[in-house]
Amino acid sequence: MEDITYWDCNAAFGRPTAGLVKPCISTSELLAEMDWHGISAAVVHHALMVDQSPVVGNAALSEELAGQPRLIGTWAILPPQTRELAESSVFFREMAQSNIRGLWAFPEEHRYILERLVFGKFLDEVALRRIPLFVKRSIGWPAVYRLMEQYPSLTLIVTGHGPWGEDRLFRPLLEHYTNLYLDISRYELDCGIADLVASYGYKRLLLGSNFPYAPMGGVRLMLARCAISEQARAAIAGGNLTRMLGKADLS
Amino acid sequence: MNDSQIAQEFLATGCCTSCPIIDLHGHYGHFSGIYMPNHDSQQMIATLDRCGVERIVSSGHTALADMVRGNQEIAEVTAAFPGRWNGYLVFNPNYPEEAAHELDLYDERKTLVGIKFHPSFHQYPINGERYKPALEFAAERHLLLLSHTWGGSAYDDVPKVAQIAEQYPEIDILCGHSFYGNWDAGIALAARMPNVYLELTAAYAVNGLIERVVEQAGEDKIVFGCDLPWFDPHYAIGCIVFAHITEQARRKILRETALRLLRPRLRTI
Repeated sequence: MEDITYWDCNAAFGRPTAGLVKPCISTSELLAEMDWHGISAAVVHHALMVDQSPVVGNAALSEELAGQPRLIGTWAILPPQTRELAESSVFFREMAQSNIRGLWAFPEEHRYILERLVFGKFLDEVALRRIPLFVKRSIGWPAVYRLMEQYPSLTLIVTGHGPWGEDRLFRPLLEHYTNLYLDISRYELDCGIADLVASYGYKRLLLGSNFPYAPMGGVRLMLARCAISEQARAAIAGGNLTRMLGKADLS
Repeated sequence: MNDSQIAQEFLATGCCTSCPIIDLHGHYGHFSGIYMPNHDSQQMIATLDRCGVERIVSSGHTALADMVRGNQEIAEVTAAFPGRWNGYLVFNPNYPEEAAHELDLYDERKTLVGIKFHPSFHQYPINGERYKPALEFAAERHLLLLSHTWGGSAYDDVPKVAQIAEQYPEIDILCGHSFYGNWDAGIALAARMPNVYLELTAAYAVNGLIERVVEQAGEDKIVFGCDLPWFDPHYAIGCIVFAHITEQARRKILRETALRLLRPRLRTI
């Protein structure tokens, strides 16, 4: 067990506008919490990327991650039509320069439709480059179904699914789309991870905490002790994420 | 890294020999909106073993839907596991005559330690007249009352629960889900009323909440539960053992407070 390296695919910092019971304002607070839980690295986003604008938040994230090798940055996207972010060739080049390794879409907060009509060739290129795109499950499973139907090769990570019994909703997606991943941040279902691994294998589950909205401890112990092979545990704890990030082409 | 001995033992073995858990919020069986791979009694016992849970107290899912059929079912299921499993009698106020009959059967169902209300599911306010027979029954026998509580609910939010807590000081009330979302008012109620305890199923996933409850309501006012077979006990345990609280507070939440509440109500081993 001690040999397993834990990476968190879904953490954040900054000052969420709505306030939290216990926010995580800075990277140093985030790193301290990761240390407390034995988590080596995390893929992160900044509260400003959600609550203000990706235009401001993406830059703020890059600025605050400078010199933080354990924190892997993501940027948020917006519809190309409003030209708030750079056009795609510049955008991907700037991602590479800033060592940004993944993208987030927040269609609820930023009021857009996450579909081909809006994102057209941009998401084709995201798919082609195998850049991971993160979404919250709260965008609704029908929206995920439509997105995957329109971009079947997209590397999509749906975060925060469960705990209220969503297997009937997401298992068909796992059957049909090999690039669809789930973070287990709220997948609290008793023996759910073992059951999923038995049915679909371990390669498309990722450790995520949704910190600081949720604590890291629950998912950390749940993964450490669920009844799966050590190979599967190591993959979900970090191997799947590092493999996914390694595939992203930002050249 | 967290140096808690309890945390380290759970990480290494899944259990903690010095702190076996008492779970006061369990269920049993299938439920409508959720796929549960581990719904039967043997599977649930296996989970208790895997997670170091010494004893659990459950209300049956069948009983939440059909009190008459389900209370008998949970009485039989729990009786098959002496020392491991106790039950709550579900009281559905929408069927007053059958509910009165269920109270009549309480004494002969020896594994029961209290009564379960689910005002939101049954869509009837916890301070309504039709709950009164159950509350008087529980007060007379000094039973535990586990109730679903939820912030913003028209049926079981803080003011209504506060009213019955004041009216029935003989009943120890376990507030399932800790008035989810209405944290400050729920914590204040638990701090003010000696007979009100908070149970954190679903609320574990709110970062910093355990620390806030311990600080403001006290480490003696939280009991462990996890809605098994809904949720893996290790999720809840992980939130507690990694929380920034003392080792003594962890022991009280995982075991000692529940044991103190449960012991006088046990009628079997």
